[in-house]
Amino acid sequence: MYGWIWRHLPGNAWVRALVALVLALATVYVLFQYVFPWAEPLLPFNDVTVDNQ
Amino acid sequence: MSVRVVVRTVSELCITVGTLIVLFVVYVLFWTGVKADSAMDRQIDQLQEQWSKGSVLSPAASPPLSPGSGQTQSPSSGQSETPVAAPEPPAPYTYDKPFAVMYIPRLGFTWNKPLLEGTGTDVLKKGLGHYRGTAQLGQPGNFAVAGHRRTYGDPFKDFPELREGDAVVLTDGTTWFTYRIDKGPYKTVPSDIEVIDPVPRKSGYTRPGRYLTLTTCDPEWGHSHRLIVWAHLDSTQPVEAGKPTALRR
Repeated sequence: MYGWIWRHLPGNAWVRALVALVLALATVYVLFQYVFPWAEPLLPFNDVTVDNQ
Repeated sequence: MSVRVVVRTVSELCITVGTLIVLFVVYVLFWTGVKADSAMDRQIDQLQEQWSKGSVLSPAASPPLSPGSGQTQSPSSGQSETPVAAPEPPAPYTYDKPFAVMYIPRLGFTWNKPLLEGTGTDVLKKGLGHYRGTAQLGQPGNFAVAGHRRTYGDPFKDFPELREGDAVVLTDGTTWFTYRIDKGPYKTVPSDIEVIDPVPRKSGYTRPGRYLTLTTCDPEWGHSHRLIVWAHLDSTQPVEAGKPTALRR
């Protein structure tokens, strides 16, 4: 999987490393901004009321 | 497809899932706190700005404390006012908007959190939530508040430390309200909605009064139970009179 991505990145090794880093950071951003906020309410930490309003 | 490719792909997937889980734990334990702290600061700033402009939601008159309103204890050291004519009930709070700041010295001298109307998931990310339909601040009835035990700034992390006699101080910009805890952390089940009744019987209160109920989850990271604390309004004073004694050091 990662080997496949690496082979499809353009440029020499340095450029590829840079692009890979940017891709990784972008993934973390998307996770923190969109995926985790969606997933977190599915866990029980939000249940603090007695009537589940 | 060779065995090598299969093994490599499975390994890479395992590493990816592991990294995801670690990132999610970081998000829940750390990042929600960072976000909540800045959100709470924003809410408090918004309140301060609103109050400095003088556009306070509730009327300037501080609600009088009638004798015996809070169970049997007598109001402390002459801070309370003599009963006067019934004040106008304050304007209803707007959902998702802050209207007060809560201080609980037992949870830390600097512990203060904004109080918003409603107990929805989004509201509780920005502060403590006031149960819709329960009494308003300082009014007769039960002023019920919910807050996170863990995640989103851990506002009620030390909830079990609360003891009888502890002060819960609130301000709406015009008045300081000092509530005193009468019954320490009481463990119940989530469906036990009687705990936020106008007269919560399990607290030992038998007569109508000006009560406060705090709820959070128990165990710390779970949702099987709830912890409840009850308090009664002990004294009120206008903000011009300075901070109540419970907040002075």
